Amino acid sequence: MPVSTYIDAIARGMWEEMERDPSVFLLGEDIGAYGGAFKATKGFQEHFGADRVIDTPLSEAAIIGAATGAALAGMRPVAEMQFADFVTCGFNQLVTNTAKIHYRWHIPVPMVVRLPTGGYIHGGPYHSASTEAWFFHVPGLKIVAPSTPADAKGLMKAAVRDDNPVLFFEFKYLYRRIRGEVPDGDHLVPIGRGVIRREGDDVTVITYGSTTHFAMEAADIVAQEDGIGTRIVDLRSLAPLDTEMILEAVRATGKVLIVHEAALTGGVGGEVAALIAEHAFTDLDAPIRRVCALDTPVPFAPALEEVVLPDTGRIVQAIRGLYRF
Amino acid sequence: MSTKVTAPSRPVAALSNADRLSLYYFMRLARECDAAIMKLYRQGKIVGGAYTGKGNEATAVGSAFALQKKDYLFPMHRDLGAHLVKGATVRSIFLQQLGRGNGPTGGRDGSGHYADPQLRIYGNVSHLAAMIPVAVGAALASSMKKEGAVVMNYIGDGGSNVGDFHEGLNMAAVMNLPLLLIVENNQYAYSTPNAKEFAAQRLSDRGVGYGIPAVTIDGTNVGLVYETCARAAERARRGEGPTLIEAVTMRMDGHSASDDASYVPAAMIEEWKHKDPIERWEKILTADRVLHEQNKKEMEAKIRDAIDDAVSFAEESMPPDGGKAAEGVFAP
Amino acid sequence: MARTEVIMPQMGESIAEGTIVKWYKKVGDRIRKDETILEISTDKVDSEIPSPAAGILVEILIKEQQTVPVRTVLAYIDAEGMGDGSHGPVVESPRPAAVPEPPPVQRDAAPREALPHRGRFYSPLVLNIARTEGVGMEDLERIPGTGEGGRVSKNDILRYVAARGSKPAAPHAGGAADARPPLPGNEILPMSNVMQKMAEHMVQSVRTSPHVSAVHEVDMSAVLRHRMEHTKAFEAANGFKLTFTPYIVDAVVKAIKKYPLINSSLDGDKIIRKSSINIGLAVAAENGLLVPVVRHAEAMNFLGLARAVNDLVVRTRNRKLVPDDVQGGTFTISNYGIFGTMIGTPIINQPQIAILGTGAVVKRPVVIADAIAIRSMAYFTLSFDHRIVDGALGGMFLAEIVRVLEELDPDMKA
Repeated sequence: MPVSTYIDAIARGMWEEMERDPSVFLLGEDIGAYGGAFKATKGFQEHFGADRVIDTPLSEAAIIGAATGAALAGMRPVAEMQFADFVTCGFNQLVTNTAKIHYRWHIPVPMVVRLPTGGYIHGGPYHSASTEAWFFHVPGLKIVAPSTPADAKGLMKAAVRDDNPVLFFEFKYLYRRIRGEVPDGDHLVPIGRGVIRREGDDVTVITYGSTTHFAMEAADIVAQEDGIGTRIVDLRSLAPLDTEMILEAVRATGKVLIVHEAALTGGVGGEVAALIAEHAFTDLDAPIRRVCALDTPVPFAPALEEVVLPDTGRIVQAIRGLYRF
Repeated sequence: MSTKVTAPSRPVAALSNADRLSLYYFMRLARECDAAIMKLYRQGKIVGGAYTGKGNEATAVGSAFALQKKDYLFPMHRDLGAHLVKGATVRSIFLQQLGRGNGPTGGRDGSGHYADPQLRIYGNVSHLAAMIPVAVGAALASSMKKEGAVVMNYIGDGGSNVGDFHEGLNMAAVMNLPLLLIVENNQYAYSTPNAKEFAAQRLSDRGVGYGIPAVTIDGTNVGLVYETCARAAERARRGEGPTLIEAVTMRMDGHSASDDASYVPAAMIEEWKHKDPIERWEKILTADRVLHEQNKKEMEAKIRDAIDDAVSFAEESMPPDGGKAAEGVFAP
Repeated sequence: MARTEVIMPQMGESIAEGTIVKWYKKVGDRIRKDETILEISTDKVDSEIPSPAAGILVEILIKEQQTVPVRTVLAYIDAEGMGDGSHGPVVESPRPAAVPEPPPVQRDAAPREALPHRGRFYSPLVLNIARTEGVGMEDLERIPGTGEGGRVSKNDILRYVAARGSKPAAPHAGGAADARPPLPGNEILPMSNVMQKMAEHMVQSVRTSPHVSAVHEVDMSAVLRHRMEHTKAFEAANGFKLTFTPYIVDAVVKAIKKYPLINSSLDGDKIIRKSSINIGLAVAAENGLLVPVVRHAEAMNFLGLARAVNDLVVRTRNRKLVPDDVQGGTFTISNYGIFGTMIGTPIINQPQIAILGTGAVVKRPVVIADAIAIRSMAYFTLSFDHRIVDGALGGMFLAEIVRVLEELDPDMKA
């Protein structure tokens, strides 16, 4: 199987879908000749033309609104936010129009919004935010957050083919830092299904995106140093959540650690914890614990960012604490 | 209020007498539907809010009359006339207003907030200006598919101050999309008068900023509205891009059924009463002997029947099944 | 010795590594601050890198064409003797020793009081295992705990149970156990949407309306005779078979016209009497119960009803019903007789207030004018909502249906 970076896998997914379906097109800022701020769409305009790889003015509301209108009129747009942070400028369109159309009108809105998300890149408060929880609360939006190149491609293809708006959170930190095998051709990852990244009987870690990698490192460490078996659930899709997989993984160990890069309070992890408390209370052998970002903006200086964002060390500590409990 | 009335610079297909009578019919139908809606609201049969387009009929009807079947309509809550011209049935209007299970949204949303893809009508959301970028997207899709269709979208003097207006119009201009954006300047955004809304002399002045043609017209003159929009639609169809049209009207009722509009000076209402769009058109058609007692009576009976039928049909129809409230958030 | 590091810069937020294209300086070269010393290439841009300090290039660690992660040290510049006091960038800021742990949770409060014995805290899982394995509270108290503060962990109790030998408690009804995986051999079948709706609707209806069921006997001989005489000509003229259903719908419509209160629904303390008569027909479809509706039955003659019924039945079977077809019913008929059922007690289709169930038509000896005769008989049940309909009205309405069917005009046009 060919090996690819995370960002190339995203590009591959888009490319194949554009080849397959002429109604798929891209729009966003600087995505055309320049190839995008992260070069995710490098070479796309040359190949598919300026009609299908559209450079827009700097207008997040108009980008998401126009994608919504085009989807209503039968197209399958893939819109790029240059950074997930900037989706604030298009927030109203997503929650007011995009998310509510199918419920009200029974008309599908097949569109993807790409959101380069997260920190660990010293981008400061306006280029490092994790914004998924805002949309997690909005009925009508699907949300995916792949952690591997294979999932990045498979979820991108599934998102493009989905008849609903899908927010595609892609982790900037992973763009060029990780490589992995990516199946050729029609590799689709179903939206709404998590994946067990590692089997273990002592502690369950539920995570997604960038922190999946830290959790894997932490699991190696506690296995070697303490003999603790860690089961890791990578959610991959946040909306809809793979409730079954979450509850099963809880039952397997009775001890749960939830990890995400987004801030602790009001995060996706809170909902996961509530689900477990509601549906698997009698399977719990310890309180549910969370390792998430501190409740601050993501600071600029590395010395501060390192403190705010979760890392392998904190996950190791938390797993040990749960194990001892 | 200085209103620049722009005469047509290029002749458009002249309206036949039948067309002129149609304009009259739709304006009357819209006003009578509005009146029936207000009645049902006061009877407690329509819940939530209710809005009329009284005073706006010429703008709504005249503009939509310039559209073809394949064109897209993105109307507002005071544009019932545009809905009707584009093909919405009176029954569907009342099913929607009464929130019936067999209405266009099955009670999921009210007022004019419905869509009919067959008729290419896409109603508004309450954040009115938010529909402008969506209309731009429809224009983009239409242009990508080379349908030769135009998109007609409406906004008020209030909504024209929202960011979406500017982002949407700018993008449509940059991409040269077939969009007609009609600003219905009815003098008030809820209770806020023009003077507190914008400092520009005319809202059409904003067109310069986007590099697109823009005009201000008398929105109570249905013939003029039609001609202006027909010309703009032709431009758009030729691939010459969007047009901004400010139609100056007066909101002759309150913002909604629960607003008595006591903040509007009585003299202002008096002045605008003389410019009632339906009366103006009726005078012209009567003078031209196109409209007379006989066909006027027939038309009134037809309107009465259509509304009576629609209201009783809607009242007899069932409210939606509460057991289905959680369905349909996502497409299957 | 003041050595300044030359590091691989991060040329963009997403950039993880860079390649050295060219060194413009060699070891031993004297370098001014900000003077270009090398060129690098990344996924986003190529860039010339200015020196972070003035001094002498004393060591090159990474050669041309090598690719390294950002912030890797590429070279050292020795500023000694240059006397300009310049410093390189601080590459690594010291990490704080440890991230503060979240405040300790007070966990010895409420659960303790819930236990019969004052003692240790037990997790929900441990208590759950204790219950299913029949470990009493006193036994539990004796298990040595290896968890924090001597807490009994899952593994502790499992070890105890294994050593003791299992003695499961009686399964408890309902609750969490229902969410467990099934016993081996049992199968979990998903409910179809239609089934789920049926389930919700039935429970809702029984909760809403006090149901009363009244049963009448009906002599279907006149209907049978009429149908037999007309069946051939009817099928030839209309292209579909003449069934019993339109006769029953026709009788129901006539009875409703006589007793219009049956065609109502209850909204709070208001009775809403419907102007149109829309008859729902309960049809067993592939994936559950559906109730398509004959609209405006009051305006149809017998042939019209027969056509409407046939249209709905065909479309139900072919799954061609549209949402409108199953909405707006004002009265429902359920013909469970086709399954051989003699008498049933149907559940009202809310928000209607009555439903007619028709049993199987069978030949039975009956007494007519003190003689015993063989007639085609059926039991009809009317279930009605006793909030609105009393026994008198229910009985009279049902009697009217029976009368219409028994006194069917033999010359009625079919």
